[in-house]
Amino acid sequence: MSSSGYGQKEKVLSRIAANRLQKELTEWQVNPPCGFRHRVTDSLQRWIIEVHGAPNTLYEGEEFHLQVDFPEHYPMEAPQVVFMQIPPLHPHIYSNGHICLDILYDSWSPAMTVSSICISILSMLSSSTVKARPPDDDQYVRNCRNGRSPKETRWWFHDDKV
Amino acid sequence: MESEDEMQDAWAGTSDDEFQNEEEEDEDSDALASDDEDDESDYGFGFNDFQLSTRRPQTIFTVLSEQDIRQRQDEAVATITNFLSISPADAGVLLRHFKWSVSKVNDEWFADEERVRANVGLLEKPATSKRKNVKEMTCQICFEVHPFEKMKEPRCGHYFCEICWTGYIHTAINDGPGCLTLRCADPSCGAAIGEDMVLGLVSKEDQQKYMRYLLRSYVEDNRKVKWCPAPGCEYAVEYQAGVGSYDLVCKCGFSFCWNCREEAHRPVDCETVNKWILKNCAESENMNWILANSKPCPKCKRPIEKNQGCMHITCTPPCKFEFCWLCLGAWTDHGERTGGFYACNRYETAKQEGVYDEAERRREMAKNSLERYTHYYERWATNESSRSKALADLQLMQSVKVDKLSDIQCQPVSQLKFVTDAWLQIVECRRVLKWTYAYGYYLPENEQTKRQFFEYSQGEAEAGLERLHQCAEKELQTFLEGDSPNSSFNDFRTKLAGLTSVTRTYFENLVRALESNLSDVDISKGAVKSSNSSKASGSSKARGGRPKSGSTRSGGSSRSGEEMAHWSCEHCTYVNTTATSSNVCIICGYPRS
Ligand SMILES: [Zn+2]
Ligand SMILES: [Zn+2]
Ligand SMILES: [Zn+2]
Ligand SMILES: [Zn+2]
Ligand SMILES: [Zn+2]
Ligand SMILES: [Zn+2]
Ligand SMILES: [Zn+2]
Repeated sequence: MSSSGYGQKEKVLSRIAANRLQKELTEWQVNPPCGFRHRVTDSLQRWIIEVHGAPNTLYEGEEFHLQVDFPEHYPMEAPQVVFMQIPPLHPHIYSNGHICLDILYDSWSPAMTVSSICISILSMLSSSTVKARPPDDDQYVRNCRNGRSPKETRWWFHDDKV
Repeated sequence: MESEDEMQDAWAGTSDDEFQNEEEEDEDSDALASDDEDDESDYGFGFNDFQLSTRRPQTIFTVLSEQDIRQRQDEAVATITNFLSISPADAGVLLRHFKWSVSKVNDEWFADEERVRANVGLLEKPATSKRKNVKEMTCQICFEVHPFEKMKEPRCGHYFCEICWTGYIHTAINDGPGCLTLRCADPSCGAAIGEDMVLGLVSKEDQQKYMRYLLRSYVEDNRKVKWCPAPGCEYAVEYQAGVGSYDLVCKCGFSFCWNCREEAHRPVDCETVNKWILKNCAESENMNWILANSKPCPKCKRPIEKNQGCMHITCTPPCKFEFCWLCLGAWTDHGERTGGFYACNRYETAKQEGVYDEAERRREMAKNSLERYTHYYERWATNESSRSKALADLQLMQSVKVDKLSDIQCQPVSQLKFVTDAWLQIVECRRVLKWTYAYGYYLPENEQTKRQFFEYSQGEAEAGLERLHQCAEKELQTFLEGDSPNSSFNDFRTKLAGLTSVTRTYFENLVRALESNLSDVDISKGAVKSSNSSKASGSSKARGGRPKSGSTRSGGSSRSGEEMAHWSCEHCTYVNTTATSSNVCIICGYPRS
């Protein structure tokens, strides 16, 4: 998946969103979540984050990239989070980078942060016991070919035990 | 035959063993083949049979306006507030969770208050007290520092600033009715956000949206209340009591089925309606031509436009051929003039002569099945358009024509109610008749007795309705055209009122008979069989559309076939059945000659 995004109608961040993101970024720089690195760009609205597979897990030594796009009314609305390039082989991660994780969609709360999302994603990776695509990967990816955002998917969340 | 069930099995042909009794089998074939005396008699079984056995208790509904709904909500909240000694906002949370059932809230609460509280997110002891001396706080959503007065929490201790709460609730309201069960913004907390907090924070516009969802939840979450499906109608209907038909009339005038929310469809059940609608969708491309309002005159072949409600069409001069819109047969073959048998409702499969190979037979069957559907669909659709036309005529009658009639005939408007009554009846009968075609389409072909009875009754209903419709449409016209009172107006009144009343009774009974799935037909057939009488008959003289067999009534000995015949009134031409009136015309009171 290229980094060109998903045709999300890119509205500029509201003042509240920009303030909050600025504060989140500052906090991140002081206290980054373990295993993640924010790649500096000139955009506050799109973050690129390096993910390092945790030691003693199936993904040890591997590196992935998350793209996080913030909507106008962040944090009232959830950011759009996808893996770029080659996403980890994981039963909840589709080959187009979409992630089946409830907090990114229905269970999002404005009290969550990019940092808390990262921690959830890493914990999802670390608890995996098998490196495989979701069983409906082909079909799902085909359905998303027109550039549909994962936020437009009606997710049936896979059960927690991987 | 011992029981009704057995009878029905036998007639549905589900079990060949039922036919082991030769006598019965013979009886059956005799009935179909014999060319007996007084064959008319068999069709005379009026609907009187059905009146006692199938009258159903009324189903009771209440139509609710928006104000009624709000009042009910307020009452429910007040009751719960009172019983449980909680705040109105908490009562609202509970009622929404338990779909507005006061008794359910009570039962669950007193069974296990703690569990209910946990499920709906009502905390028992507010966690507010612990922050008493705090002057400032950082909001965990915007990460800004705010004075303590600007921080709010829904009694769970999760403080966020007012701006963030407002944004949070605004987002939820704009996401849809889920805002009614909104929980605390802290992802780990399930505390309910009640309407007091919502309404205290959001804009006027959001308040209105929220109140709208609140109103809707009373109807949409409540199994006993539904919205009227008429476009733009804001009434809801509450089911009160009773079983049976679910047809009802909303205060907006639209009649619909409470159960499936399709337009009213007595006498057919919801399942049949659903099947029929799906069938119509599937076949809609094949059927478009049927809805065309023009057909060639069967005699002179010029296109004729149907612009009236009844099916009796007269071609324009010089042809003036009178024909039936549905079957394109001569009108003289319809109705009383041929002895009371109206048969263009009947579908007969094309003769399959000289069909040799399998492929050809398949084609023939496919053609027949489409033809058969076309037959029923056309009659269904034509009755529907006839109904809409009648509805428009009724409105015109009410708004203009009754006044005009009152002027011309020097009659007070109050004396002309019989005219609007007639039109109301026509509208209702067209609706019923329409649905009998869906009924007929799904009535199994192998249930011959039922089919014959059904087709006969439907034909009679149709013929009766045509008489009424024609009288209200065409005969009325002559009284609207004159400019001075017409001496025969009183006769017209008697006739139209009589036709209205007879047609109403006939249709009511037809509806009941079909709703009971013609179960009495089998019973009466059973009586014939066991009595070993040979009265049941058909007639080879009968023209094509005529039922070839009919059943006689149960316990028929007291009412012979002769008595059950029809007789046509010399005065008004109405076809009376001896079942309802043997010596005097039910319409005009003229004695039978
Ligand atoms: Zn805030
Ligand atoms: Zn909370
Ligand atoms: Zn209505
Ligand atoms: Zn229904
Ligand atoms: Zn003609
Ligand atoms: Zn006809
Ligand atoms: Zn008469």
